[in-house]
Amino acid sequence: MYVLRRLPSLLATLFAVSLLTFLMTSLLPGDPALQILGAENATPEAIAAVRADLGLDDPLPVRYLHWIGDALTGDFGRSYRTNEPVSEAIIDRLPVTAEIGILAIIIALLVAIPVGMLSAYRAGTRTDKLISSTSFGLLAVPNFMVAIFLILIFAVWLGVLPATGWVNFTDNPVQNLRSALLPALSLAIAEMAVYTRLLRTDMIGTLQQDFVTMARVKGVSNRRILFRHALRPSSFSLMTVAGVQVGAIIGGSVVIETLFALPGVGRLLLEAVLVRDLLMVQGVALVIAVSYVVVNFTVDILYSYLDPRISHGRSAARV
Amino acid sequence: MRVHRRPMRGPWKRALASVGLVGLLLGTAACGGGGDDGNGDVEAGAQSETVEAGDPVEGGEITVGLEAETNSWLPGEGTFNQPGVNVAYALYDPLMHRTEDGAVEPYLAESMEPNADLSEWTLKLRPDVQFHDGTPLNAQALKTIFDEYLTRPGSNVAASVADVTSLDVVDDLTVVYRLKETNAAFPDNLVAAAGWPFSPTAAAAAGPDAGANPVGTGPFKFVSWQRDSRLELEKNENYWQEGLPHLDKITFRPIPDEDTRLSSLQSGDIDVMQSLRQSTVIKARELDGVTNFEHLGSNSGGSTMNVSRPPFDDVRVRQALAHAMDQEALIEVLGGAGVTPLQTQFFSPDSPYYSEKLEESYPEHNVEKAQELYDEYINDPDRSDGKPVGSPISFTFTCPPDPSLNELSQLYQAFFNVLGAEVELEQKEQAAWIQDMLARDYDMGCTRVGADRDPYIVFSQAFTEGPLNMTAFQSPEIDEQLEILRTTTDVEERKAAVEAIGEVLNENVPNTYSGGTLTVMAARDVVRNLDGWVFPDDTKGNGAASAQVMWGHVWTTE
Repeated sequence: MYVLRRLPSLLATLFAVSLLTFLMTSLLPGDPALQILGAENATPEAIAAVRADLGLDDPLPVRYLHWIGDALTGDFGRSYRTNEPVSEAIIDRLPVTAEIGILAIIIALLVAIPVGMLSAYRAGTRTDKLISSTSFGLLAVPNFMVAIFLILIFAVWLGVLPATGWVNFTDNPVQNLRSALLPALSLAIAEMAVYTRLLRTDMIGTLQQDFVTMARVKGVSNRRILFRHALRPSSFSLMTVAGVQVGAIIGGSVVIETLFALPGVGRLLLEAVLVRDLLMVQGVALVIAVSYVVVNFTVDILYSYLDPRISHGRSAARV
Repeated sequence: MRVHRRPMRGPWKRALASVGLVGLLLGTAACGGGGDDGNGDVEAGAQSETVEAGDPVEGGEITVGLEAETNSWLPGEGTFNQPGVNVAYALYDPLMHRTEDGAVEPYLAESMEPNADLSEWTLKLRPDVQFHDGTPLNAQALKTIFDEYLTRPGSNVAASVADVTSLDVVDDLTVVYRLKETNAAFPDNLVAAAGWPFSPTAAAAAGPDAGANPVGTGPFKFVSWQRDSRLELEKNENYWQEGLPHLDKITFRPIPDEDTRLSSLQSGDIDVMQSLRQSTVIKARELDGVTNFEHLGSNSGGSTMNVSRPPFDDVRVRQALAHAMDQEALIEVLGGAGVTPLQTQFFSPDSPYYSEKLEESYPEHNVEKAQELYDEYINDPDRSDGKPVGSPISFTFTCPPDPSLNELSQLYQAFFNVLGAEVELEQKEQAAWIQDMLARDYDMGCTRVGADRDPYIVFSQAFTEGPLNMTAFQSPEIDEQLEILRTTTDVEERKAAVEAIGEVLNENVPNTYSGGTLTVMAARDVVRNLDGWVFPDDTKGNGAASAQVMWGHVWTTE
C-alpha cells in the first residue's frame, strides 16, 4: 500500500528532524544553567551542580539518546525554566495554535476559492486586474502590520472584538471564537492572496482544456462548469501549497501569538529559545516538525481523491 | 513618584498613537520601541498632578496587563522581574519593604533588630498570621523555607542569602539570621523573593509543581493559572491586615507586545497596564481617562567597558569615549526624548541615594576634550594596546539584537569614529552576551547599569572581586566606602559613601549611562490608590516604584 511504502522515508525524515533539532539547540551559545540561576547566583559551584543535575555535562550522543529514548515513550522531560512537563505544556498549547491555524486556512480558502475562480473566469478584465493587484498588495503587508490594523479597527474603534487574550473553547465557545478571530484573520490575509493567485493560474489553464469547451458546447451553465468540472482539476497547486504553507502559518504564529498574547505553541517556543530552555525547544520543534510532515503526507494522499487517475501506483511514485 | 494625566487632543491621534502607527507612519522602527514618536510637544519631566484617591471602595475586580509571564511563583525558582513582583505583592507579603524615604522597614515582619555589630538580625513575626492553606506563619516555617528552598542547589536567590550562615528559631515567632560578617544592608534582601514567605506544607505537597500552585500570606489567594494567558486571584478573607484588601478579584494577563498591551487598555480589555518602555510611557500619557503612575528607575541604559583589556585599561581611553557620547542623542534613539533625563550615576533622581554633585562630575559631551584624551593615548609610546604610536585604537562593540539597540550601537560607533577609533559592531543574543560579560570576554558593549536596591548590594556586586564585576574595575577608594555601607545603618553616612563611590566612577568611567528607566503603571481613572500603600503602622510606602504595586491597597470605583 502507498502509505506503508512511504513510511520508511517518513520515519527517516522524523529522525533527521529530531537530530537536527537536538544539535541546533545544544550548540546554541548561552548556558542554560546560567539562565536558571541568574547571573548573581551563578557561582562556579552552583553552575556545576545545575549542569550535573540536568545532565548537560554528558557527551552529546549520550544526551541525544537519552532524550529521544524518553521522547519515544512520550516523556519529553521537564522544562528547565518552569519545571512543568514539556509534553503537558505542548498539549495545553497546541489546541490554541491549531485552532488559529485551521481557522486561518478556512477563512483564506473561503475567500480565495470564489475570488480566484472569478479572476480566472474574467481573466484579463478589469475585475481580474483589481483582484490581482489587491492580492499582491496583501502579500506585501507583513502580518504584524495587519494585526495592528485589525486591532485598531475592531477592538479600539468599533469595540466589537477583544484586542488581546484567549478564552478556552471549553470555558466559553462564543468567547473562544471571538478571541480567535482577529489572530486567524491576521494569518489568513497573506494566505488568501497566495491561494487566489494559484487558483487563478491553474484555472485559466483548465478552462482552456477540451472537456470544458465540450461542456460549453453541450450548453452546461457557467456556474456548473466552474464548480463541478473545473475546480477539482485546478486545485492541485492550491492543495500542495496549502500544505506547504502550514509551515508559514506556524512561523507566523510566533509573531501573532505574541502580539495577541495567546498561550500558543509559537509563543512557548519563542520564550523557550530566549532563555535556553533546551528540552522545551526540542520538544516543541519536534512536535511542529511532525505536524508539518504529517500534514504534507495527508496532502499527498488527498491527491488521489482529487484525481482518481493518480492511484499512487507505479506511475505516481515516479513523479 | 510622578502622576501624570493629560487631556487628549483628537481621537484620531489618540487611536493612532496607541497602536504605534504614528511611529510606523513616520518610518521609524516598527517593533522594539525605538524612535521618536512624533510627539514633539511632550514636555520634559512629568507634570505633577495629584489624582485624589478618595475613600476606599470595597469589592469589584480588575485586570492588569503585564509585560511578561513569570516562569514560576515559587521564591527560589521563579525569576521575579517587575511583572512577577507585581503578582508576588498580591500573593505574598514581603517581610520587609521600602518606605517613601528609602529606608527598609518591617512589613509582614513585626520587627527586625540587629545586634551591636550588625552581624545578627533578629526578626519577630506577627502573631496569628496564616498562609492561605491555614498553615501558621511561624519561626519554623521561615526556617524550613530557608533550609529547604532558598539555599538548595539551583536556587536563584542563593546570592541574597549567601551571607547567612544559619537561620535559627528563637521562639515560636522569632528567628535570628546569623551572618558571616557585619552587613548593614541585610534587611534589603528580604524585600525581594528571599523575604516572601510561602506555605512550606503546601510547597512540599505540590513537589515539582509548587511553582504553579502558590500559597502565600498575601491579600489575594491563588485561583487558577493558564501560563502566558491569565492568572486569577481572589480576595483573602482571612488577611492579617484589617480592612484589606479592597478588591474581590484580580486577574493578571501577560501581554508581551507594547502596542497591543496599550490597545487592550484602550479597548477596556484590561484596567491597568505596566510598561518599562519610554515610548509607551509617552503614548500612555496621551490616553483619555487614564492616569499614569510613573517612576524613574535607577536601572539605566548604558555601555560597559572591560578594563582588564587594552585599550580600556587606560583611563584616558575610557574618559575619551565617555566625552565623545551625546547622551541626549542616545536617549532619543531609545524613544525617551523629552521625558527621560540624562543619567549620571547609579541612582536616579527618584532614588534617595541620588546626588546632585555627581550630576556635575560625570563626563559631559565634549568632542574636543575627547579628542585630546584620545590623541594623548594613541601618541603615547607606552600605550597599553602595544600598537605603533599614532595608529587608531580598535575594538568590538557588542549589543543584543533588537531594532532600537541596533540603532543605538550605530550611534555609539559614529561617536567613536569621530575620534578616529576603529569600531566593529557585533550582535549577540542576550543569553550569550551575558555569559561573555560574566567571563569578561568582550571589549565594550550595551548593558544596563544600576538597580533600585541597597547601594551596598549594588556596588559590592559591581566593583569587587566577585563574578558580577563585568567591567573588572576595582579601586581601594571604593572598597573603603563599601566598608562604610556595610557597617553603618546611618542614612546620611551611607548617602555620603554612595556619593564618594559615584565620584570614583565618574572619574574612572568603567561604564557610561544613557538615561534612567522610566516605568509606568497606567490605570483607568476608576482604579485608585496604586501608589498610596502604607505600612501596618501607617508609614508611607515607596508608592508604585519601578511599576510595582501593592495590590492589597488598591480599589476600584466601578
